[in-house]
Amino acid sequence: MNTNNQEQKSIKERVLEKIKSGEVKMRPKIYFVLKTILIIGGVFLILGFIIFLISFIHFHLRASGLWYLPAFGFRGFCAYLRLLPWFLIFLSLVLILILEILAKRFSFVWRRPMLYSLLIIIFVVLIGGFIIGKTTFHPRLFFQAREGKLPLMAPIYREFGMPRFKDVHRGVVEKLTENGFLLRKADNELLTIILSFNTQFPFGKEIKEGDSVVVMGKRDDSTILAIGVRKINDQFRIFERHLFPPPMRWNR
Amino acid sequence: MRENLSQQTDEEIASLVQSGKVEFFGILVGRFEEKIKRYARKFLADHEDINDALQEIFLKAYENIKSFDRKRKFSTWLYRIAHNELVNALKKKKRILSLLNLDIFLPISLHDRTLERNIDLKEMNQIIDKCLDKLTPKYQEPIILFYFENLSYQEIADILEIPISTVGIRIKRAKEKIRKICQKLGYEYK
Repeated sequence: MNTNNQEQKSIKERVLEKIKSGEVKMRPKIYFVLKTILIIGGVFLILGFIIFLISFIHFHLRASGLWYLPAFGFRGFCAYLRLLPWFLIFLSLVLILILEILAKRFSFVWRRPMLYSLLIIIFVVLIGGFIIGKTTFHPRLFFQAREGKLPLMAPIYREFGMPRFKDVHRGVVEKLTENGFLLRKADNELLTIILSFNTQFPFGKEIKEGDSVVVMGKRDDSTILAIGVRKINDQFRIFERHLFPPPMRWNR
Repeated sequence: MRENLSQQTDEEIASLVQSGKVEFFGILVGRFEEKIKRYARKFLADHEDINDALQEIFLKAYENIKSFDRKRKFSTWLYRIAHNELVNALKKKKRILSLLNLDIFLPISLHDRTLERNIDLKEMNQIIDKCLDKLTPKYQEPIILFYFENLSYQEIADILEIPISTVGIRIKRAKEKIRKICQKLGYEYK
């Protein structure tokens, strides 16, 4: 008992000694206020970045034509899975986990099962990402980056914005030919599309000059034997048409 | 003044320390030293390790005392610091990987536990101590806080920063595990 008291005293004394000698100092209130502000700022920054990433993935899928591939059946769906931007998807998932860990510092988050907070985060970033993806935000940035106005963003849009796939091609119909049409891509490349009886048209055969289309088919130099052609109607189309106005049939 | 202080709550004394009366921190150390030591003993075996952890816990508490919200219970706040320190001390000793815990991931319904404590307390106190070492810290901690420190589910949830329903499920599972361990070790536990 005596030894115990001695021991108690010594721990108390050791603690008070360190405090009195100034070895350990009380952190000011502002330290904790700033820490909380930093965490809240970090949460919003990461949340904003994930929304940007999701909307960018959405833009990438539409601009590259991947978004429309499942309409071409099983082959289209397999190509869609193969060509998805898995790195960006993985990065988004990692950031969602980091966001969850940061949010767990707040009692209103950890008091509830993790499933709820994760579902809320996923719901918010998906909705936010798809809303931004529906606007002209990314197409504008893409074309500005292409014109050299956004040097910082240019590599990202060059890498992911308009990738060169072997069997998926998106662009504007520049001219109709006897057995197909000429396709102008956003990087200004001109491709010759050849249609056959086997070519699928999931959303109608009527293709006109000035239409934005996605073509699926193996590339041989600058010629593509089309497996499928799909007319598309999204925000990116406005910019494509603006860049490559067809000589005729523009006023419709 | 000293007599008055002995009647003051922990929160009131913490508030005095916050306002710059540093010398009163010793009263808080005195009040909680034994409790925290008892708590630390369940995790650390070595006498020196326990004393080092204890000192570190009180120094951390002093350092961060301005983050203590006077509307909350001081003991819960201090146990939270102790929990973090002891987990860190354990991590240094063993390599504990705490990956995703399904019991904090999924919603779980909570059952009445007041009755459960009254029935079990005496019996559990004697037996758990003998089999506790064999449990993983995840199950060890809620059991210690509930049966040895007599804290409520809400307080345990605040200390461990997990949903209150998870506290219930961990205690239930821990008891099942203890039952098995005790049977293996030859103790009788119904």
